[in-house]
Amino acid sequence: MSAVLAALGRGTLAAARAAGQSALVLGRTLRAAPRMNRRELLRAFGHFGWESLGICLWVAVVIGVMVVVQSGLYANRFGARMALGWASGFAVTWEFGPLLLGVVLAARVGARNAAELAVLKAGGQLEGLSGISLDPYPVLLAPRWVAITASTGMLASVTLLVAVCMEVVSAWASLGVPPRVFTGSMADALGWQDVLGGTTKALFFGAAVATVSTAVGLRASGGARGVGLAAASAVVRSSFAIFGLDLLLTPVLAAGLSR
Amino acid sequence: MIPGPFTTAVRTAQAVARRGLSARDCLEQVHDQGNRTVALVVTALSFFGAVMVTIAYAQARKITGNLATVGPPYLELLVRDFGPLTCALLAAARCGAASAAELSAMAVNEQVEALELCNGDPYSDLVAPRFVGALVAVPLLCILGTSAAAVSAALTARYVFLTDGMAFLDPRFIDGWDLLSGGLKALLAAAWIPLAASSRGLAARGGSAAVGEATTDGVVVACVGSIVLVAAVGLLFQLLGV
Repeated sequence: MSAVLAALGRGTLAAARAAGQSALVLGRTLRAAPRMNRRELLRAFGHFGWESLGICLWVAVVIGVMVVVQSGLYANRFGARMALGWASGFAVTWEFGPLLLGVVLAARVGARNAAELAVLKAGGQLEGLSGISLDPYPVLLAPRWVAITASTGMLASVTLLVAVCMEVVSAWASLGVPPRVFTGSMADALGWQDVLGGTTKALFFGAAVATVSTAVGLRASGGARGVGLAAASAVVRSSFAIFGLDLLLTPVLAAGLSR
Repeated sequence: MIPGPFTTAVRTAQAVARRGLSARDCLEQVHDQGNRTVALVVTALSFFGAVMVTIAYAQARKITGNLATVGPPYLELLVRDFGPLTCALLAAARCGAASAAELSAMAVNEQVEALELCNGDPYSDLVAPRFVGALVAVPLLCILGTSAAAVSAALTARYVFLTDGMAFLDPRFIDGWDLLSGGLKALLAAAWIPLAASSRGLAARGGSAAVGEATTDGVVVACVGSIVLVAAVGLLFQLLGV
């Protein structure tokens, strides 16, 4: 019993420490954002945004096909093909689109950010910047945070659009539902609020990935093993942050946007 | 030119045939890739399970009027498609990132060359244990994750929507083909993830940017490859009509 309590206590302390470090990183990053290095910002947009477009399109295709397969199974069994467009569109815009995109970007963008920062930290290069009176926040960290967050919002719009198009194609190819019927059912029940809700969620997920991966990268220690652990931790913690945020944001956004 | 996952697989097999395999390293990798990914997979799949039931509830209200009727097809979908795909993606993200980052950091710091100078072989000493570890860990993670999603769906249906939660644990639509399809998807993804991540990690050259690049490449190739393999198996079974 005492061992369980001790483990629970250790876990709680570790979670509180991680949350505190992330909050500190977020605060310092936002304070440094007005002074950030514009050139590094452009570079970060390229690395974290533009170069993520390919995998986001892959994710969009998978989400589109998967959600139609899922909804189609029910629609076929219960003879409700007419509602397929609404059901699939709702699932993609509100839940699966933002969530899967967030998890994939946690892996692609979060792991890269954490690994790069971990190598810089382990190699003493971040201390070197401070040694020559350069604050790493405006020079290195704030541009990355802004680029990751903004890129996620933009990528979410593209991903949701492509996923919906893939749903139309997939419903027509696999279930024989005509595109006009599918899009009509979608347009009847979904509005701009649903797309805005999904994109806003993705934007928050991007901010979470940027904050958590930066905090994890800055805490890394040791050599190659430390870098590997930092990359893995960034993926795991960013994913947990995404699930937590999803639980909080879904009711708040649904209530706010339905007014 | 960067050796691809297939070349890495051939080199690893040759190296293992020549030099053998350390059981201790393999067990360590099973722990690293399995135990350390359990929390992520179980939490994520429980969450997705609850979300899917919430969406199914919205659909059922409109279509059948009864959430419990979508329970058995939900479990079939989970075992056959959704469970293996999501678990493979999460394993590719976590284990792929860890392997690619660790191996690329070793490569840029010349530790891989040092290993070769000490008569070691990076393929048998570094890649093969990761391959065996993933081959054991990923299918087990898929079983755990799928079970977590099913249980979470049942609990959500029972306590949130106050309907028959046991319908989401009803296996009446699941047959041997569903289990075979899900198992095959998990095994193929398990074989692909370490090969994709290791091939990108070992090829890294340069400094911190190269480590970041290799990590990204490793994760992307592992995730995309897993998706393609899962989709190919799904398509094959669909063509076979089972």
